Parts: sequence; structure tokens; C-alpha cells
Amino acid sequence: MGLPLFSAHNDPGPSFFHYAETSGLANASAHGSAESPHATTVIAVRYNAGVVMVADRQATGYYIASRDVRKIEAADRFTAIAISGTAARGIEFIKMAQLSFEHYEKMTDSSLSLEGKANYLSPIIQRNNLSTPLIVLPLLAGWDPSHQVGRLFEYDGAGGCYERFDFATIGSGSPFAESALRLGFRSDLDQEAALELGALALYEAGDNDPATGGPDFVRDLFPMMVTITEAGFQELASAEVGARFRSINDRRTQSGGVAGGTLR
Amino acid sequence: MTNYFYVSPEQLIKDRAEFAQKGIARGRSMVAAIYDVGVLLVAENPSASLNKISEVYDRIAFAGVGKYNEFDRLREAGIRWADGTGFTYSREDVDARALANYYAQHLGDMFTEGQKPLEVEILVAQLGSKFRPTKLYRVAYEGTILDEARFAVLGGDAETIRERFAATEEVIHPLKETLKNAVNALAGPERNIPTPDLEVGILEDRGNRRTFLRLDDAQVSELLS
Repeated sequence: MGLPLFSAHNDPGPSFFHYAETSGLANASAHGSAESPHATTVIAVRYNAGVVMVADRQATGYYIASRDVRKIEAADRFTAIAISGTAARGIEFIKMAQLSFEHYEKMTDSSLSLEGKANYLSPIIQRNNLSTPLIVLPLLAGWDPSHQVGRLFEYDGAGGCYERFDFATIGSGSPFAESALRLGFRSDLDQEAALELGALALYEAGDNDPATGGPDFVRDLFPMMVTITEAGFQELASAEVGARFRSINDRRTQSGGVAGGTLR
Repeated sequence: MTNYFYVSPEQLIKDRAEFAQKGIARGRSMVAAIYDVGVLLVAENPSASLNKISEVYDRIAFAGVGKYNEFDRLREAGIRWADGTGFTYSREDVDARALANYYAQHLGDMFTEGQKPLEVEILVAQLGSKFRPTKLYRVAYEGTILDEARFAVLGGDAETIRERFAATEEVIHPLKETLKNAVNALAGPERNIPTPDLEVGILEDRGNRRTFLRLDDAQVSELLS
């Protein structure tokens, strides 16, 4: 690869995606289909000081391909990206987003706004999903430093970007997670309540959806839980997540596998 | 009918070199120096937004002197090259030496084949790691590449500044001393550069993947006090 110099009229500007595409670093479109593992339930809940995200860790094909996939990653200090859909494309998507935000920052000596990041991802999703059967659907959550608030964006299959003010879910376990969230969400949730609700919704999805991995007490593998606040992206320690899921599990054991009348 | 006059290659090179040197001498100079735990880049730059110093990659920084539009295009190409290489291979495969060589080739080509030589001098700095040494590569307008041992001075007044700075840099100092010496060398005995006219960046390990940090006026004043 030589020195990527452009003249003013065809310069790709600070967009890494545009540069990668014009220079052939990234495939603009790959046709055909391939069976590859799918990534499955991710939940994001907005609360009074940021956003909580919870994701299961199972990659499912015809069998369980992996039990410790990370479906949420920090895209930069204040932004998290979660993926569902084709694992291979999702991982590439996260890498592209991380690199793009950093690239923009270095090229222009300023950070993209959170809304700018959300919009930037739209055409990438659209290009991928309309040109291959290897669909990828992300969630973007972040702390917006210019408005001092946590914000959440979801996308449809054609790349449409929608801001959500309550919660969002992606993946095959969504219907079950969504039901729990609809019953438990309040607009004044604090961090502890948001974490608890997120964990409960993921437990529901893991309990009902065969392609979502719930807490794995045998291997000590638990869903990923992160918070995005003024302090940036923070991942909860596995022990803390484990304790949370263990107590949900204990309560369910007591009431015979159901919540037992209250959301718990 | 057009008449072509013969110009000897010696004369052509000399004219082009003079042209480039004049262009570079119009701008202010900059100093890059290795300090005990990092690399310091300091430039005299009255503009707070048209930068001479920039982050390129996790452990690589760029500095340019001369014509802003020319070195800024090279800076952008460097960032693209680094991000593209890291994307294709791995982050640890991005090496300052390869980038400095590309700059050298491009500047060399423009010097001999271009409409006019580029009126810039480039510095590529790399903070050492387990895999690579700390390096300062200086690339001149005609494509000469120099691997500077401890510090580099770029710009029109480079020789005088180099002498002044060399006198104070017999050993490697901490950041504070290195910055003071660099600013004194840039200013000379009769002048005092106000802090807002200084652009300062460092490469230093702070526990993050990205080691570049731009110091603001308050941080620079603090270090100079």
C-alpha cells in the first residue's frame, strides 16, 4: 500500500469507511450466502445518568459455536456498539466503527458528535444488508457530552436510524426481553434499577429463546453488562454480573421457574 | 515555434532547492526531542487551529513545517496509511520507518518530477515499544531521510536553533527541562515566545493504547514555569 494521496476533488475526507471502500481495503459488497454463527440478544436501557447494556455471549449456528462472544464493544471512550446478526460481519462492523471514529478524530482534531456517529453508521448498515444475506443489526449507545445525557440509537435492516428514549433490543430473543422491559421500564430508573431490569430481561430471553445463552453457572460464564455514563464506557466485573444472575436464578427456583407474580 | 533553452541539471536542482528552502524559511520552525519517558514535539505556531503537529497512530506523531496546505495533505495521507495498514494487518504492524520512507519517496518524486518541489519538511516520531525503538525521522523537501539520534530541528532557521538546543541537551532530560530548552532554542536570546504561540504535543505511555497528547496553554505554562 503506497501513500494514499488524493487530489481535492476526489479526497475521501475524514471518513475511514469511504477511504477503505474507494481503496479496496473493505469489500463494498459480497454476494452469495454462507452459513455462519449468529449473535443473539442485546438489551439497552436508558436511565437517569446514562445507558445500561446487557448481552448474552452465545454464538449459535446449527450448534453452539461459541459461549464467550463479546457482543458489546466500546467504539470509543463514550460510545458502545452492540451487534446482532451474522457474527463475522458484526465483528467487522465494530472494527470499522471503532476505526472510523478514531480516524475522524485524528484527521480533524475534533470528535464526531454522538448523533454524527449514529448517522455515520446508517449507510454502512444499508450497504451491507442490501447487498448480502449476511445481515447485521447494531445498537449504538453513548454519553452525549454536548447535551450531558445518555442516548440510544437503533437501526432497521435498511440502515434507518431511530433514536430511542426508553429501551431497545436486538436479536432473536428480543420478543421475550422486550416483554420484560415493557413491564418494568420507568422513565426515572436509576443505575441499579436499570441494571436489574436489563439482567431480568436477558434472563427471560435466555430462558425462552434457544439461540440466546443465559447465565452459564457450570462454566462461570455470564452475560456482558456495561454502563455508558459521564465516566465513559464501563464493563461490570464478571463476579458482580454472576451474583446478579445467581440471585434471579434463586428466586426463580423458589417460585418454580416463573417470576411468581412480580417482576423479579 | 517555441524555443527551449538548455538548463544544466546542476542548475535545475540548485534552482529547485533554493525555491523550496525559501518557501520553508518563510514559516516558523519546530523542535522534536526525546525526553526520559517520551517524545516532545514543539512548534512555534501563532494559529491555534491550523496545526503543525498531529497524532498519526497509537505511537506515531507527525510534524510539518513550511507550506501548510502541502504538509497537511501529507499528514492526512499518513493517517490514512496508518489506519489502513492497521486495519489490513494488525495495529503492531504500523511502523514509522515505513511511513517516513513513503514521505521521502513522495517528496523526492515531487522534487525531481513535479511542477515545483514541495516547500515542506516533515518529521515522523515514534515512541518505542517492546517491538520497536523510539525514533525521530526527518524528511527534507528533496526526499533526504535522516534518522535523528536524540532531537531534530525543522524549518528555516534550523541550524541556529539546532546549535542552541544541542548546547543544552548533552543528556536526556525530563519533559519539563526538555520543553524549556526547546522553547528557549526556538526563541533565541532576544525573543520571548508567548505560550499561545506554542503548539506542543507529546508521545508518552499513560496506560492507554493511544500515546499522543496535545498539551493546552495551561499545561504548557505550567511546564514552563
